[in-house]
Amino acid sequence: MQTWNYVEYGAWALSALFGILMVVDWIKTDSTYSEEVLTSSREGELEAMTEQHKN
Amino acid sequence: MTNFDITSSKIDGMGPHGTNVGLLRVLGPAHVWALGVGIVLVGEYMGWNFAVGKGGAYAALIACWFAGILYTCVAMIDSEVTSTVAAAGGQYTQAKHIVGPLMAFNVGLYLVFAYTMLEAANAITAGYLFSVVATMNGFQGALDQRPFIIMCIMFLAWLNYRGVLATLTFNLVITAIAFIAIIVLFLGTSGVFGGGIMQHASLMEGAASLPYGWIGVLAAMHFGLWYYLGIEGTTQAAEEVRSPARALPFGTLAGIMTLLIAATLTWYVSTGVLPWEFLGDGVNGSVAPLFDTARLSGSNALIWLLGFGTLFATLASANGCINDASRAWFAMGRDKYLPGWFGAVHPKYRTPYRAIVFLVPIALIFALGAPLDQVITFSILSGLLEYTFMPLNIIMFRKKWPLDSIKRGYEHPFHPLPAYTLLALCAITFFAVFLGYGTQLVAMIGFYIVVSLWFHFWRYRFVNRGAQFTMPWPKPKGY
Amino acid sequence: MTHYTPPKQSLLSQLFDVLVLVALTVGALFVPLWMGMAGSSKSVPAPVANPTWEKLGQNSTEAKQYEALGYTPATAHDLILARFDYSFTTISLLVMIAVIIVYYVLMLRFSEAEYRDVIAEKFSKK
Repeated sequence: MQTWNYVEYGAWALSALFGILMVVDWIKTDSTYSEEVLTSSREGELEAMTEQHKN
Repeated sequence: MTNFDITSSKIDGMGPHGTNVGLLRVLGPAHVWALGVGIVLVGEYMGWNFAVGKGGAYAALIACWFAGILYTCVAMIDSEVTSTVAAAGGQYTQAKHIVGPLMAFNVGLYLVFAYTMLEAANAITAGYLFSVVATMNGFQGALDQRPFIIMCIMFLAWLNYRGVLATLTFNLVITAIAFIAIIVLFLGTSGVFGGGIMQHASLMEGAASLPYGWIGVLAAMHFGLWYYLGIEGTTQAAEEVRSPARALPFGTLAGIMTLLIAATLTWYVSTGVLPWEFLGDGVNGSVAPLFDTARLSGSNALIWLLGFGTLFATLASANGCINDASRAWFAMGRDKYLPGWFGAVHPKYRTPYRAIVFLVPIALIFALGAPLDQVITFSILSGLLEYTFMPLNIIMFRKKWPLDSIKRGYEHPFHPLPAYTLLALCAITFFAVFLGYGTQLVAMIGFYIVVSLWFHFWRYRFVNRGAQFTMPWPKPKGY
Repeated sequence: MTHYTPPKQSLLSQLFDVLVLVALTVGALFVPLWMGMAGSSKSVPAPVANPTWEKLGQNSTEAKQYEALGYTPATAHDLILARFDYSFTTISLLVMIAVIIVYYVLMLRFSEAEYRDVIAEKFSKK
């Protein structure tokens, strides 16, 4: 039964693929956008609509 | 700045200021249900049976119901607070607004650890399942489970990275299948349609009824939590739900009802077929009890259904865990409780992508390096510390902001009875963990004490004081 | 209440903080494992020589289920006879209770102090 050995290799390959996809996109995103844009999310903005000042 | 408009207020869930890249508000109540039940349902497919090992089959049932009461209190309390404090981070954000920063930091860590450990436990189970299928297929020799464990975590992390809607829609489908599989197994084996294979009477007679006596019942509470652990994670979706004040309580309470049914059915079919010593040993004996029950039913269809059910349940759970843990980690980064670098949102997919990527290796360390019951115990302990925080939280919430001071989306009944019930049940569960796993308990709390000191004396200097309080509430009473 | 402006943290310092946290976490999980104190305290208190299903205390139904699962009395021996040891000393129970209480008291006190700052700053400028 060699099949399962190939399945094992397949699983290793897929793991690597998903890992690479994420890391590549991560590096691309970090170099495309400025840090201010990326970390501009603030908690409770929607709820804070009534009080527009501050943050 | 490329091909999309980050100033669009239509697609930006965080909205009114327009310049922010926030999480997307795209989810409905069904997704909340899928997130809550999806994380937890795996608890019926594996892990709960350690409760049988700690006290026998009857003890596991009693623990199942008492834990059910505990979680009903959790769901009610949590629904009230979260229908008011709707932000990613869930209980972390609640603690920040109601109890204080250090508590919030601890709660945030409870969340991340409870979910990351649970994710690791799921991946271990999925890997085991692959090896069982290989053996049933006639594979000679031992299958290396590691690539499958890593593949599960990598695939789900990637899915989470790509966007929350697809992630939770995927969860909705596989959770529904896993839930239906439990019902089909019950209908197929219990004999309601004839031909049942249940043998409760002879499997639970004599010494097998309460092998440890009544102290075993108490001890079983430890893993009794596992039937439901994670249902409180629904609150993490608060910034991505279209109408949090309505969808979160609805999804959470529907979720706890689903789980009460699933847990009782699971106990019934498994204890009716598997001897308690085998069922109760989740490492050397029954790793996946529902799957083992199906194996003894002699029906190939049931074996396949429950095999897929187990796989889907582990995937759904790991998926939800990645979602929740990364939201909590992200929320803490955003407030500078953790390095601010983690507070980033992906401009295109609108997910906390750095938190997601960072937690992958952490989950892998646990999944590849520690035994299953150890990992589960750490997850349960973090959960338990969190449930102990909840009654304190609701009592302070009601005291600082009485019912007439701010509007709540949902008000839980009989306050403060649920809070005290929850506190009492938590105390019992601490004792249950102490029986058999006392060292881990002390090690875990030691860890939280050290981390708390680190936060208070070092990390907190990077946090904005007033600005972290973001709810448009009046000043709390007594300040 | 003066407005508190937190210092900006350099990337290197951020990285260091993360490493500290990860080291603590991994330590909490693996130190008990390495010291051999972790895992369930399960052992076989009364081993049986030449086990049969009867000697292991299994009735005919249980024996049949074990056989269906692929066990023989010899391979099921450890599984069936392993038990937790629930005996404990009052001291260790008291230590546990003390640790838990100290932890929560410590946390609530520090939190309260920090929380008063937050509320003072948040609501003073209105």
